Parts: sequence; structure tokens; C-alpha cells
Amino acid sequence: MLFLSQIIGRPVLDRHGEPFGKVRDLIVALGERYPPVTGLVVRVASGRDIFLPWSDVESLDASGARLHTSSINIASFRQRPNEIRVWLDLQDKQIVDVEGRKIVRVNDIQLAPVRGRLRLVAVDVGLAGILRRLGLSGPGERLARALGVEVENYIEWEDVDPVESSVSSLKLRVPHQALSTLHPADVAHIVEQLAPRDRTGILASLDDERAADVMEELDAEDQVDVLEALPPERAADILEEMGPDEAADLMADLSEERQAELLSLMQPEEAEEVRGLLTYGEETAGGLMTTDFITVRPDETAQQVIDRLRQLAPPSDRTYYLYVTDADGKLEGTVTLRGLIIASPETRVADFMRPEPISVGADLDAEQVGAAIARYNLLALPVVDEDGLLLGIVTVDDAFERALGEGWRKRLPEIFEPAEDR
Amino acid sequence: MNRLALTRPLRRAQRSIRERLPNFRVHRSGVLAFLGVLGPGLIAGLAGNDAGGIFTYSQLGAETGFSMLWILPITTVMLIVVLEMAARMGAVSGQGLGDLIRDDFGIRWTLFAMVVLLIANGSNIAAEFAGAAAALEIFDVPRWITVPVVAAGIWALVVFGSYRLVERVFLSVAVVFLAYVVSAFVAGPDWGEVGRALVTPTVHFEPSFLLLMIATVGTTVTPYMFFYLQSSVADKGLGPEELGFERADAIMGAVWTNVIALFIVVVTAATLFGTGITLTNGAEEAARALAPIAGDFAQALFAFGLFGASVLAATVMPLTTSYTVCESFGWESGISRRFSEAPVFMGLYTALIVIGALVVLVPGMPLGALIILSQNLNGILLPIILIFMLRLVNNPRIMGSHVNSRWLNVVAWGLTGLVVVLTLVLFGTSLAGWLQ
Repeated sequence: MLFLSQIIGRPVLDRHGEPFGKVRDLIVALGERYPPVTGLVVRVASGRDIFLPWSDVESLDASGARLHTSSINIASFRQRPNEIRVWLDLQDKQIVDVEGRKIVRVNDIQLAPVRGRLRLVAVDVGLAGILRRLGLSGPGERLARALGVEVENYIEWEDVDPVESSVSSLKLRVPHQALSTLHPADVAHIVEQLAPRDRTGILASLDDERAADVMEELDAEDQVDVLEALPPERAADILEEMGPDEAADLMADLSEERQAELLSLMQPEEAEEVRGLLTYGEETAGGLMTTDFITVRPDETAQQVIDRLRQLAPPSDRTYYLYVTDADGKLEGTVTLRGLIIASPETRVADFMRPEPISVGADLDAEQVGAAIARYNLLALPVVDEDGLLLGIVTVDDAFERALGEGWRKRLPEIFEPAEDR
Repeated sequence: MNRLALTRPLRRAQRSIRERLPNFRVHRSGVLAFLGVLGPGLIAGLAGNDAGGIFTYSQLGAETGFSMLWILPITTVMLIVVLEMAARMGAVSGQGLGDLIRDDFGIRWTLFAMVVLLIANGSNIAAEFAGAAAALEIFDVPRWITVPVVAAGIWALVVFGSYRLVERVFLSVAVVFLAYVVSAFVAGPDWGEVGRALVTPTVHFEPSFLLLMIATVGTTVTPYMFFYLQSSVADKGLGPEELGFERADAIMGAVWTNVIALFIVVVTAATLFGTGITLTNGAEEAARALAPIAGDFAQALFAFGLFGASVLAATVMPLTTSYTVCESFGWESGISRRFSEAPVFMGLYTALIVIGALVVLVPGMPLGALIILSQNLNGILLPIILIFMLRLVNNPRIMGSHVNSRWLNVVAWGLTGLVVVLTLVLFGTSLAGWLQ
């Protein structure tokens, strides 16, 4: 295994074996799975740094570099747009370990011949890299092993994503490709570990829908930070993609001017829903509810409803209950997914719906909403106004989150023992 | 400015607490808004007036009266220069000082800086426990009760505490500094004389005065404050476009610290100067000496301030230190992590508190000497960190067009040179004292 730290500072000899300079940095071309080394930065005796193309290099290892040539055409090589200087741009910098979903530091960089070229294959983020650079590999590693400490920790290059404020090279800033493969909750976990500036960079690189998913996973304070840092148009786009209840919760933490600005930039329909939700107190049924639900008419047939569902392809948590409303929007009954499926196709909804459903008013206290859901074993509870018009629904997870927020959670056992939820 | 002005560590800790209480809402009103207005510079200033600071300022007043007050405007300017650089670096780079040192100087220098930081802050933490213990001994609370209770309380506050609790503790601790303002008025000095002394430099060439001067500079400009401020600015996500605000905040923080210092000097100068009382063991001596002269109320206020200041510094310091060390080495950090996930971080955080507390509990441990030792270690750290800072703040790769202006560099390098000389003198003298 060859490491960057073993090469830097080593002598560079020309084809006659005469000293030419010292290795200062390596140049790699990004884009491939394992970026190939394309050049060498050599500090020559006069103290200047010159660039050498890889074609001039015969060999490179821990003892130093050997060149093909003795006469160097300095002007012939330039760093191209997709190339970075590994030591300058990457060594000691913070990166995202996409696999491990955390922020780490590059302690060293591993190089290996792959398909005929010397390539950057992995970054060393473990203790081994630190010890190697301190010149303590032997005794340090023995000590660490004796203590049972994990010494080696490498991350493959393809599982690495840059942290913008740390990695100053512009060329590395573009991708965040690796991140887009992760679950939104994992992206959110990474985002929370970053400095505010980098958070926004990552969010900005995702498409609206994914950004909205990640946003929903962030905690309130970080949501506000990220949203404030984004351009208003983009922030409005992301808010549109969020659940109306999530968007309203987030907007409730913004200043009134900012709320008005974002609402005016959102699609009128979404803006209206959010505006409506913003009028309810946080600790009430209205504050907990979402306006994302599916309604059906009593005279539709089971088959018609199933066809419509197929067309809408709604997220799973919205299909367990369908709400039966009359022409004015008054809640008449509920239909469960099970009820819908076992009904014969031509049956009218009115014939198999559950009439007189349990519902609550928008100003009911959040705690009582939770109690009602628990008492009746519901997955969601409809919220209606004084005239019985359906305003929204409170889902069981939203209600439970609120309920858990009020209790004292024991922290001690979790510090010492692995818990299932992390 | 609508955010709680705490360190990145503390805010992360709080965030982790909120993660566990999923629907915890942040209300930007009341206490939170108030703390938000204070700004990171102000909190950095508060945390800088710790047990060692109060001790030194008390000595200054007791031994030289008002005659050395003129040094406070000068240390204020020094602090402004350094805090402004830290705030600017945090705003432009978006990174903490430990991060930048690692990014730019590589692993050897980082290791060096972190070892020095660990030793200096480790001894500081012990000094804070010493301050808290000494303060409560005035109220006849023995240190073997104070220290374990405070240590366990700090650990638990951050690890188990709710957001609101941490917030309230911080606010109430911030209020204790007003105790010194009140005690200064209770002491009833000639304010006209105080005003004149502030602008009239008088120099004594006796070694003890010189040492006191050095100690005053050293205790005012403490490295811990820069790490805190820079992380805090970076963590708030304040950018270069808000530099005007950040400057104002840093200046306000520096001025605030020294206003409190001024009142401490005034209290002891008005009451103890000329009585032949000298303070050698710690700030609580000042409190004790106050009782017969200015009354029990002044004594209680003074001790109360000392206790609060020590606890505030002892709360923030272990956290900031652990975060700085772990982040610069890329180790998992965060109070929300379990021991198995972040062994270094949790181990370090716990060890700093436990060792700091145990040192103070060693029978016969001279608390005053402990505080002086921690100040000396900070003095050694200061020029090292200043040189790192100046190299970084002048690096266009990091700072772009926000590098230091030429005149600022002249002032800052001059300051660093002065601090190096002062530190060498202070360290040499202390060493000589220890060897005797």
C-alpha cells in the first residue's frame, strides 16, 4: 500500500539518477471511479514549484520519483479544470463519509495501481494515518492494538463527498452525487453535523422533492437556518414539496415578513393550505393536523375509488383511511383501505363506509387529540369545524411525537448501551 | 440575530436533546431572544472573566488601588483586536479555529496545538472548580461537597438537561456579573478619581507591579475566548456580509469584559487598598477581606459572583475543549452520542471534568497556586495561538479579500511580540518562585 504522506517530500531523480527536486504534491483527474494520477508538483532547488506530466514519470513509490527525462519543458503542463492537487486540496480536510454517514478528516490518502495507472483509491481517516504522519506507526499501532483500539479506517473514494468550507478547491464542490443515494434521514443526519454554510450547499444541490424530504427530517432550528440561507424562490419550491403541516410548522418559526414573502412565491394552492394551517395554535388539533388527505363521495363505487387511488399513487400513510364528504365538504364517514378492497367493485361507498366517524374540533388540546387516537386505536383522526366540514387529519405519528415530547426520557441507558433507533 | 448565542458544542448538545424530544419547538422569544441579542462576543467576554480573572483584578485593586486602572482601556483594545480577528475568521471561513489549524498547518502542528490547549484548558477547569470551592467556603460549605456537586451538575446539565434548563442556567449565571457592579457601588468609591485614573498612566518599576500588569494582560486576553468566539460565529452561520455586526459584537464583548473587570478593581481598590491586605491565595480572600470593611452584603455579593463566574467557565470549557480536539482530528463528537459511538469525545469530556474536580479535592491542595499555574499555562498558549491566528487571518486562500489590513497587522504582530515578552517574564518569574 502506498500513501500520499510517504511520497511527499521524497526526492525526484532524473533519468541519470541526478537529484532534480522534491515531491511537493500529486495531481489527479476527477471523474473516474478511481481518479488517476496525472501529474507531479516538484519543488526544485531554486524553491520554485513546477508541474510535471505523468508521462515524464517513470516510477513513483515511497522512496521517491524517477523521471524518464532530464530536460523538462516547464510550460508544457498546466493543471486542467477537472484536476485537483491532492495534498493541497484534500489532505487534512473534512469530508463526508457517505457510507458511515458522518463527517471525518482526511488523515492520509491511499494510492494503488489500478488498470495500469496509479490511482487515488481511498482516504485514510483512521488512527493509522495520524500515526504514520507523526512517524509513530510502529510503537503507536502496537499500543493502540494492545488497548483494543481500531487503528485502520479507510473510505473508498467513491463513498466520499466534499465538505465545502473545508475543501477549498472549486472543482470538488460540484457533485454531492454520493449523497443523493442515501435515505433522507441519513442526509439529514450528515447535514446536522455540518457548519451552516455547508448545509445549505448540500440542500441546494438536491432536487426539490429530495430537499423537501431531507428538510422534514431536520430539527426545527436547523430547518430555519437552512431555509433562511437559501434564495427565497428556491426555499418556496422546497416548501411546496413538503407536507403542508411540516411546512406550516417550519414557517411558524419565521418572521412575519419572511412568511409573507415565501407564501407569495409559492403556488397559490399550496400557499393557501399553509396559510390556513398557520392560523391554528401549535398545541391544538389544528396545529397538529395536515391538509394532505384523500376524500371520496358517498355515491362513488368501490371500483371507481380504487381506480382513482391507483392514479393518485399517494404515499402509504394517506391511504389507510379515505374520508367521505358531501358536496359541501361535510364529513360523513370514513373508509378503510381494507374495507375498500373487500367490498365488491360495484358497491357504493355509502354502503360500506363507517358512518358517524370520530372527529375532533380544530382547537382541541394536542394532548387530548393524542388520547383520542390512543383510545380508539386510530391511525388518523379527522379534524372538523363547527359545521362538520373536514379541515384536516392528525396522523398517529404526529400525535405521538407530540406526546413523547412532553415526557421525560431516560437518557442514561442510551449512553452506555446501543439503542435500536440510531 | 435571532439565535441563542452559545458555543457550537452547547448548541449541538441542545440540538441532540431536542432530537430526543421530537416536537420540541424553539420559541424565539423571551429568554432566548435576549440571549440572542447578547451575541457570541458578549458571551465570550462573560466566560473570559473566570476565577483566575477575578483573582487578578482583585489583586490589582487591593495592591495598587486606582493607580493601575489606565491599563484596562489598553487591554480592552488588545482584546478587541484579537476578538475581531476571531469573529472575522469565523464569519469568512465558516470554520472554527481548531478546524483551520488542522486544514492549514497539517497534523503535527495540530497535535502540538491541541496538546497545549488540553493542558491549558485542563488546568483552567481545575482552577474554575477551585474558584467555585473557595467561593462557597465563605458560606461555610466545605469543598468536598461543593466540588463533586458542581462537577456532577455540570456533566448532568449538558448530558441530561433540557434546552430550557441550560438556557436558564446560562442566563442566571450571566446575571451574577452584575454582583460586581452592585458591590462597587456598595463600596462607594470616589467616582471622579476612578475616571481620572482610567486616563492617567502611572508606571511603577517594582517587580510586583510589573508582574501584576502582565497577569492582567494574560487574564484578559485568554485563548479560550477566541476558540469559543470563532466557533460560535461559524456555527451561527453569520457570513462576511454581516461583518459590521460581528465587529460590533466583538467590540461589545471586549468592552463588557473590561467593564466588569473595572468594577472588580474598584471594589477592592476602594476597600482593601492601603489596608495592608494582600491577596495571595485566591479571589475569595478579597471577599473575606471585604466583610469587615464593606459589610457582609458586599462579601456575599463578591463570593456569589466568583461562584457564578467559575461555574459558567467550568460548564463551557470542557465542552469546547472536547469539541475542538475531536473535530480537528476528525473523531466523532457530540453529547448525544453514546460512549461506544464517540469514545474519545465522551471520554475526554468526562475526564476533563473528573480530573479537574479531583485535583481540587486532593487534601491540602493550594487553590491559589492552582489558579496561578493555570494562568501561566494560558500565558504560554496565548502567543502560540496568536501566531496561528495571524498566519491564518492573513492567508488569502482562507480569507479572500478579508485578510488583515497592514495597520492591523502591525498592531496585531506588535501585540503578539509584546505578549511573548510578557509571557516569558511571567513564566520565568513563576518558575523561579516555584523552584525556591
